[in-house]
Amino acid sequence: MNIDYHALAPEIILALTVVAVLVVDLLPVEKFWTAVVGLGGLFLSFIPVLTLGFCESLEFCDDTGVRVLFGDSYVVDTFSLVLKGVFLGGAFISILLSVGYLESDRFWQGEYYFLLLSSALGAVVLASSRDLITLFVGLELVTGPTFLMAGWRKGDARSNEAALKFFIIGVISAAILLFGMSLVYGVTGETTFTGIRLASAGIVDQPLFTMGVVFTLLGFAFKVSAVPFHFWTPDTYEGAPTPVTAYLSVVSKAAGFVGLLVLCYLAFAELRNIWGAALWILAALSMTVGNLIALKQTNVVRLLGYSSIAQGGFMLVPFGAAVTAGASPAQLEDAFFATVTYLLIYAFMNLGAFAVVIAVRNRLVTAEMDAWGGLYNYAPGLATMLAIFFLSLAGVPPLAGWFAKLVMFRSALSIGGGWAIALAVIAVLNAVIGFAYYAKVVKAAWFDPIPEAIPADELRGRSIVPSLQFALGLTVVAVVLLGFFPDVIARLGDLTTGFVSGF
Amino acid sequence: MTIVQFLVLGAAMFSFGVYGVLTRRNAVLVLLSVELMLAAVNINLVAFDRFLADQLAGGQVFALFVIAVAAAEVGIGLAIVLLIFRNRRNANVDDLDLMKL
Amino acid sequence: MTFTDWVAQAENYVFLAIAIPMLFSAWRVVASQNVVHSVLYLVGALAGSAALFLLLGSEFVAWTVVLVYIGAVVVLFLFGIMITRAPLGQDVELSQPLRQRLPAAVVSGSLFLLMTGAMFDAFGGDVIPETEATRTFDVGISIFERWVIPFEVVSVILLAALVGGIVLARRDPDEMTEEVVSESEEVPQ
Repeated sequence: MNIDYHALAPEIILALTVVAVLVVDLLPVEKFWTAVVGLGGLFLSFIPVLTLGFCESLEFCDDTGVRVLFGDSYVVDTFSLVLKGVFLGGAFISILLSVGYLESDRFWQGEYYFLLLSSALGAVVLASSRDLITLFVGLELVTGPTFLMAGWRKGDARSNEAALKFFIIGVISAAILLFGMSLVYGVTGETTFTGIRLASAGIVDQPLFTMGVVFTLLGFAFKVSAVPFHFWTPDTYEGAPTPVTAYLSVVSKAAGFVGLLVLCYLAFAELRNIWGAALWILAALSMTVGNLIALKQTNVVRLLGYSSIAQGGFMLVPFGAAVTAGASPAQLEDAFFATVTYLLIYAFMNLGAFAVVIAVRNRLVTAEMDAWGGLYNYAPGLATMLAIFFLSLAGVPPLAGWFAKLVMFRSALSIGGGWAIALAVIAVLNAVIGFAYYAKVVKAAWFDPIPEAIPADELRGRSIVPSLQFALGLTVVAVVLLGFFPDVIARLGDLTTGFVSGF
Repeated sequence: MTIVQFLVLGAAMFSFGVYGVLTRRNAVLVLLSVELMLAAVNINLVAFDRFLADQLAGGQVFALFVIAVAAAEVGIGLAIVLLIFRNRRNANVDDLDLMKL
Repeated sequence: MTFTDWVAQAENYVFLAIAIPMLFSAWRVVASQNVVHSVLYLVGALAGSAALFLLLGSEFVAWTVVLVYIGAVVVLFLFGIMITRAPLGQDVELSQPLRQRLPAAVVSGSLFLLMTGAMFDAFGGDVIPETEATRTFDVGISIFERWVIPFEVVSVILLAALVGGIVLARRDPDEMTEEVVSESEEVPQ
């Protein structure tokens, strides 16, 4: 059998890196080097993503268009490449966030980076999977190591609790997902998404098929922590080590969304009235419940946990709007584009927000909002970045988050119809609520007086760990530049939509 | 043999698993119930595979992957349970406020 | 296939002879008041599923269930229970009180009825065709030609579970620094 090694190069390099990290961990060198090897491996596996993406303009590259491998079950197209890039970038920044954090706590560093990279490998595989088996196995590789990473602060009861809760919810959702997939396989007789779509045309009304689809979506609703399947999220986010939380809220969540995107728009394309309706409800609930509870939070990490539930709701809005019966293929492409764009921008701004939280926490030890008062007075740089990321999450122009919200509203409004408009209205109300609590954190950092207990003079001018500086720099540049030049991201998003045109 | 008899058996096993997940208080027992749900999935997959006379044996391969992944998950789960036990001396789920908002 | 045809078929009695003990075992797994009994009843349920796979002519999956599930996973469960000294006596309450069990029974019962209805609607009396048992050779070919990526991915999952599981489960000496830990093979208890 002929295997297209170029198409598989990112996965292969990443898999070798995973093993290399374990080997370096054995060697009698500073544990710091395991992180370096991990970062290097992520960078190296990003190179073939680029060469595959710009294949037509490269001389040595054998341009074959979309690369379909293993009988339709594994596809390397622009959509999967863009997402592979996001996953690799997300894992890169997560490692940067972890370096300083881990050294301060004497963790099992080599094993930690090994698990993080394994999970990233799962996400990279997931982006290309077009087959129930590959999708399931990829998803398990994304989540499996994160169960362990959530409990990495072994002595801390909260971290233990985070790991157990996350694990139990994770396996239950996997079982539900699998049951749905088994029904879908049985009813359609296919495991590939194209096969399922072709076979599903005649059996759209069959209750058993609907049941399979609903179970599958339920499984994913847990993974993307959509309300009412979110209850594990805040506790896990708060209890897990903060860099792990950043990883969970970005890469792991994005992997869940990628699974939803490919399943809904490819495999279940004929059942738009079912998944559209289900995701409409989840979107409305996630935005509203996530935001309302976030308003009451006093701990910034917990606040970001609820905010990520709400942001997930915004990402589901285009799915929910697609329920409108008359939606044309072009409008569905736009909806697809909106979710992908939101996901890309969310990844950068949320990682940035967590980078700030980690940096502030390194100084203050606590993530309680009260203690953050007057941050601007003794750490103006951090306070500025805090403002940038939180206001971007709120969707204030000209930061990148604004463009994400814009395309989301645009897609819902262009599809039109009562349901889509209603969802857009709910989204607008929630954007306003969201602004309230993001602004509350920024206000605390900028205008509130410094609490008595904070030794501001000692903290003044203390420098940030270089790896964290690098992570902050990357994300700040991304958020600001993408806000001013949304064309870049729009172009990436456009590349991905060729995908839906099979309608 | 009809396909439905296997599917109904699978559905019954799955429902038992759901009942166990909803009622058990101990993490290990919840995990046992999840294993029942996965056994139901395997019954479905293999029965469908034979029913469809799948040339690629897709259902059987899927079942093999489910078994392998379930084994890994049990390993992860018991490591976490052991960790918690060492710190707290019990592994009851409801002490963990699973539903806390 | 009508019900009379079904009753006339000898295989179906084999099926019932396997399925009824399986259902009983499954019920005991979720209802038993003794943790070890629960695990042992799980063996019954899984052995039943392996027997069904043999009946269906899917031998490789059947023996994998026996080896991996019954041989490894169940033993792991028993280890976990012994090590954590889980409540072994009959007197400890392992399930939620009755007022929480009733709604759970209603939920799972209606789920079962709903699924059964949908299953009869979709397949009615459709018969599983009489074909030769699947050869392990064919399963292998299909794994290594079609599903080689998931195969490799599963190997990484198992490795990650192994490495991460050891780190979490092992006892860290509280007072020692990391350098000392990595140098000493024997961790003092």
